[in-house]
Amino acid sequence: MTDSSPRLVAQESSGGGSCAEASSAVAVHGLTKMFPVPLHPARGIVAVKDLNLRIEPGEVYGLLGPNGSGKSTTLKVILGLVSPTRGRTEIFGRNSRLVESREAVGFLPENPYFYKYLTGEETLRFFGRLCGLRRARLKQRVNELLDLVGLTKARKRRLGTYSKGMLQRIGLAQALIHDPRLVVLDEPTAGVDPAGSREIRDLILDLKRRGITVLLSSHLLAQAQEICDRVGILADGVLVREGHLHELIAIENQTELVIADASAHLVDEIESMINRSDAKLIERRKSTTTLERLFLEATAKNDEGTTKQT
Amino acid sequence: MTNSENASTLQRFNASTLAKPYHGFSLSRILAITLNTLTELTRLRVFYVLLVFGLLLIGSSIFMAQFSFQQEFQILKDISLGAISIFTSLLAIVATARLLPQDIEDRTVYTILAKPVPRFEYVLGKIAGVLLLLAISTLMMSAAFLLVLYLREQAVIHATMRQMAGAPPEQIADALRAIRSSALNPDMLPGIIIIYLKACLLAALTLFVSTFASTNIFTIVVMAFVYFIGHLQATAREYWLQEHSSGLLTRVFLAFVALLFPDLQAFNLVDDIVAGTAISLALFAKTALLGIFYTTIYTLLAAFVFYGKEL
Repeated sequence: MTDSSPRLVAQESSGGGSCAEASSAVAVHGLTKMFPVPLHPARGIVAVKDLNLRIEPGEVYGLLGPNGSGKSTTLKVILGLVSPTRGRTEIFGRNSRLVESREAVGFLPENPYFYKYLTGEETLRFFGRLCGLRRARLKQRVNELLDLVGLTKARKRRLGTYSKGMLQRIGLAQALIHDPRLVVLDEPTAGVDPAGSREIRDLILDLKRRGITVLLSSHLLAQAQEICDRVGILADGVLVREGHLHELIAIENQTELVIADASAHLVDEIESMINRSDAKLIERRKSTTTLERLFLEATAKNDEGTTKQT
Repeated sequence: MTNSENASTLQRFNASTLAKPYHGFSLSRILAITLNTLTELTRLRVFYVLLVFGLLLIGSSIFMAQFSFQQEFQILKDISLGAISIFTSLLAIVATARLLPQDIEDRTVYTILAKPVPRFEYVLGKIAGVLLLLAISTLMMSAAFLLVLYLREQAVIHATMRQMAGAPPEQIADALRAIRSSALNPDMLPGIIIIYLKACLLAALTLFVSTFASTNIFTIVVMAFVYFIGHLQATAREYWLQEHSSGLLTRVFLAFVALLFPDLQAFNLVDDIVAGTAISLALFAKTALLGIFYTTIYTLLAAFVFYGKEL
């Protein structure tokens, strides 16, 4: 579907503001992480340097940056998998080096493999048991999560036969097994096709609707833009930008008007009004859809055709 | 899967399921890791290959050369108990060497430790899974060995009865008693338990080595050295003490060597069993305690190193 709305972009002057909240889902205070170089203990590779972060409950926070910028290291320190060289990290006010702080966290690592010899159902049962779920409650939860991530039909298949997208989805299900208040996702859509990627994005948006805090790292900027409330950009272990997404990417002196079913005369009239004012018209063009939407529509139609033929 | 469907499913979660509050130590968490490790290992081909080789070797001992029934039973016990010892030791090393490095390489360890699971419980669960696997394989091989021994005992008894058809009943009874005492006897049980404890010790030591090894191959090579040195160290220690004084420094050094390379020869009670020598309760208890002590120490060391490990 192609949108036929004309798009007008005009310059203006505007302001914005932000508010800070007291309690945090994740707090990172002056975090520095150095990895020692073998045989040169005095030297070290600085993965993260003096990082300060505060993620509020219920928001989707994107930690962005190129490969090697320190995203995964930051997540690992927050999860207590790696100890900080300096600084402190907290999850809902509890030091994240304490095991009990992980009661509130679900984690999906980048490119997870899990145990190939287990089926989807066995995998969720295993992780559920680790979180103290038992018998009927565990069974119910496993069923709900398999349904949620669309793997009910594949529940008896070993993970060795799962596709990349299916592995990501079972990974997301295990992260949610104990109903965490914070979900940490390391490159959740890396290597997943657009349809799978869209499903994971929808799941993240559903978590947000439930009030679950989501911290994700990604270098897929378009996707992060769609789902994140706030982002932080890391470069060489340093936080170079941070804030609400709409504030960071807004062009302060420009405004977009998207109009449906406007006649050429109306658009011309608006344009002439702009020309008569102090503002300047920068661009006039037809609205376009995204390549992702086009791809999903095309492949969905093709699927329908195939189903009908068979 | 639509958004509305997701939302309705997610709403059910809040109402229905909440995990139990965290406790610093949980047997059920350890049990979950133990059973998962056991499942992992029993679904590996190497387990079946080793088990089949062990069972074949035990089964083939039935066809060994026979001079007298005593010799036959001796050979059968020697080969079978030797096979159980070697294959459980090999299984302990090969199965354990891959456990931690594989989990780290596949990032599975991240998903486990990102849950409220203390690291020592993870290590404990892993080693318990291996020990359970070793117990199962020792039981299976022992059962095969005892079955073969029983079948041979029955065959020898029948043959003897045929040969002594006209002999007085007392003579026949004496002959049968002699056969039975040299075949199945309770002395084999402590021997099998010690073989199992030796495999437990090797598994725990392999787990410890694997906490700082970078590859599985490195762990297996180190353990191969430990295995051979462990079997030779008692002789080397005796030679050393004959040549040098047994001062404090020497004793500390020897204790350190004994910790790195446990005296595996001390766990070899097969020769006594084959020779028909009864294993004293004191010797059995001493050896068993040594095995349990080493297994505990190496497990604690593995947990300690893993606790500080950067993942």
